[in-house]
Amino acid sequence: MLTLVPSPLALRFGEGSGERFYYFDKQLHMTASSPTLFFAKPQLQALFNELRGRGYCVVGPTIEQEAIVYSELQSVEELPRGWTDEQAPGQYRLKRRDDDAWFGFVVGPHSWKKYLFPPKATLLSAEKTETGWAFIPRAADSTRYALLGVRACELAAIRIQDQVFLNGPYQDPIYRERREQLFIVAVNCTQAASTCFCTSMNTGPRCERGFDLALTEIDEGFLCEIGSDLGRDVVAACSAAPATPAQLQAAETARQQAVDQMTRHMDISDLPGLLLGNLDHPRWKEVGERCLSCTNCTMVCPTCFCSSVTEVRDLNMETVERERVWDSCFNPDFSNLGGSPVRNDTASRYRQWLTHKLDSWHDQFGTSGCVGCGRCITWCPVGIDLTEEVAAIRETPTP
Amino acid sequence: MLEPVLHSEFLRAIPGPLIARLESLAQMRVFQPGAVLFVEGNSHPDFHVVASGHVRLDMLVPRRGRVPILTVGPGDVLAWSALVGNSIMTSTAVALEAVKTVALPGDQLRQLCEAEHEVGYHIMRQLASALSRRLLATRLQLLDLFGEHVPALEFTSNFGRPGDPEC
Amino acid sequence: MTSSPPTPPALQPLHANPWLTRTVRIADVIDEAPGVATYRLTLDGDTDPAAYSFIPGQFNMLYLPGVGESAISMSGDPTRSDGWTHTVRVAGNVTKTLAGLKRGDTLGLRGPFGAGWPVEELAGVNLIIVAGGLGMAPVRSLIYHVVHHRNRYGHVWLICGARTPEALLYRREYDLWRQHDIDVHETVDRATADWTGQIGVVTTLIDRLRLPHPKQTQLVACGPEVMMKYAAASGVRLGIAVERTWLSLERNMQCATGLCGHCQLGPEFICKDGPVLRYDHIRPYLFVEQL
Repeated sequence: MLTLVPSPLALRFGEGSGERFYYFDKQLHMTASSPTLFFAKPQLQALFNELRGRGYCVVGPTIEQEAIVYSELQSVEELPRGWTDEQAPGQYRLKRRDDDAWFGFVVGPHSWKKYLFPPKATLLSAEKTETGWAFIPRAADSTRYALLGVRACELAAIRIQDQVFLNGPYQDPIYRERREQLFIVAVNCTQAASTCFCTSMNTGPRCERGFDLALTEIDEGFLCEIGSDLGRDVVAACSAAPATPAQLQAAETARQQAVDQMTRHMDISDLPGLLLGNLDHPRWKEVGERCLSCTNCTMVCPTCFCSSVTEVRDLNMETVERERVWDSCFNPDFSNLGGSPVRNDTASRYRQWLTHKLDSWHDQFGTSGCVGCGRCITWCPVGIDLTEEVAAIRETPTP
Repeated sequence: MLEPVLHSEFLRAIPGPLIARLESLAQMRVFQPGAVLFVEGNSHPDFHVVASGHVRLDMLVPRRGRVPILTVGPGDVLAWSALVGNSIMTSTAVALEAVKTVALPGDQLRQLCEAEHEVGYHIMRQLASALSRRLLATRLQLLDLFGEHVPALEFTSNFGRPGDPEC
Repeated sequence: MTSSPPTPPALQPLHANPWLTRTVRIADVIDEAPGVATYRLTLDGDTDPAAYSFIPGQFNMLYLPGVGESAISMSGDPTRSDGWTHTVRVAGNVTKTLAGLKRGDTLGLRGPFGAGWPVEELAGVNLIIVAGGLGMAPVRSLIYHVVHHRNRYGHVWLICGARTPEALLYRREYDLWRQHDIDVHETVDRATADWTGQIGVVTTLIDRLRLPHPKQTQLVACGPEVMMKYAAASGVRLGIAVERTWLSLERNMQCATGLCGHCQLGPEFICKDGPVLRYDHIRPYLFVEQL
């Protein structure tokens, strides 16, 4: 159906045989001439400068409103050095570490989707002329983003959104524009929060592919794996040397800590199928009584992609902009048909969200929609845990 | 006499030998366009299976007059109250065009069913089937599926109402 | 799952930018019934005839700037190249604003979108077309297709229903369709005593059909969801396979491209996997409350 054309992403990460899609993040492509490098911590600023010098807007983690969020960074000084996050269902706290780790935390309320799939974006505008309405496509946005600190689960989330926004019969031009120019510095997790369950979803904690550079932090500095030619070019500014065996071992030990600390698990062996096969299960009503339909989970989820379009008019009604904004299937009027919603209560909306995320997504996009980042558990005001809900439904399936 | 309606849904599932038991009861009736087959509230002796043409059923409602309820056509049953009711008709039937029916006198049909239970079983089963379809159709009519939409309940959403979602 | 239709060459830009909106002008307006009108919309200037091509059952997003978009099926003849024809019922802000426009006024249009009637699969067999209310609109484009390719289809029945006789759409065209050997039956839910036609729901008419070859008959339906469910059930009772029954569904459609999430019914995006869906694929989801 779609002509097979090497995409800019394919060219960057290497061609592979069995390429099936226009944009597809393929298996790890590491050329023999890309050993793992090492550079001292202060050199991260050099990486920063190199990226900014190349015209990238560097975004990464920083502390705002007592949480680690993603924001535009001017220097590495803004990173949450020496801080960590303690997470539990319905709970998030920052805590000082007893070391000076630069990336000693996991994921917060923001995800990188805010840059690829912005919360507000103009789609087109309409202008009244003498001959009638004229429709003007949106102007191209030349901003190029470099993401600093992308975790394995987030790489998986980006891959999932690539599938949604680029690999279907229709592409999203805004996502495509941002994605083509994106530079990704991934960071391997060296710890896990109590809400993390990426090992269950096979999305981490190790960064395997889809990055330009992947860092692992050890006491003395950063190990750096190269994932693309562009990455290799950029890291040349850091005076990096091939990593020593001791450094490689220290990095492996650090990464293993993330695996060892993972306490939450979700059995996905019967997904897809379990939830779509239990649409009348009484558990939906039960969780519907706890859920506030507040939409937090969909806002923090790195793969949720629902949106609506609003009209932004000037006073004369001569110019109108169509603006796409984030929406959520938890919103009461999300499923409006003929003036009233199809999903008229919280239980049916929660069922829609979870069934879509863990079940229908397979049918629609070929993978699960969940990456096991745990954000929805942390940021739910009443601490609803989807891993628990799935287990409860599995325990007493409807006949 | 039964020939014109032997392929009707009512009769075709009844085994041949039992059909023969009905033959002697069956009479052909012919109605001109506009003719009234029976009147609501009145007694009517026969149970009909329509062979050709269409018949409209009306009910009388004060201040609304004669309200059409249903049109029956070839293969449908008519005046079932003659068989299972007390023969008092629950609607008025008007031929919309030239109509032919096969009529079975209610009393005699009932007696036959009483005397020969196998015949009775098949007749009642077919009648139940016809009436269940009629019941579903009535329910669908009752739902008024094409009616104007029920006004929406007011909802506030976090995002306001971004343009009116249409159907 | 029905696959998306191939995009006609003239419209492939929609793949790269589904928000591509074009200016269309109202060429004519025909009043069909109270609150229902048919609009023919044309592009200005010299237009390649292929620009208006669509598959019966597809829809366009009609855009009234400042008010919003509405998904409206094409109700016109897919072989004609003099514009897109849509039959619209006033139901909300967008359609109400559209009803206030007149010949010569402009609006925006994106499309065509959606999986239409599977015209290739329907060919070679007998066809029962069931339409209720405004469901007649996407069905009419299928009827035109059948009329233009009559020898590809076997026996064709059209069963259409509406609330009242005044609400029956396109009655003036029934005789033309009958001339093309389409067996047209109409019925209404309610009428006054001067109506000499059928009264009752479409399922009653379906039940009465005598099908010489049920295994070689397909059923398509468009109308209120309850009507479609029971029409399909009547078809099954007549011996029509569930894999040969097709329904045109609707949900809240906004982006028309499967990217905004609103129109999902189970795993199906009604705008992209539908609106025409095979009955056996969608049946489990039609009977779940508030799905």
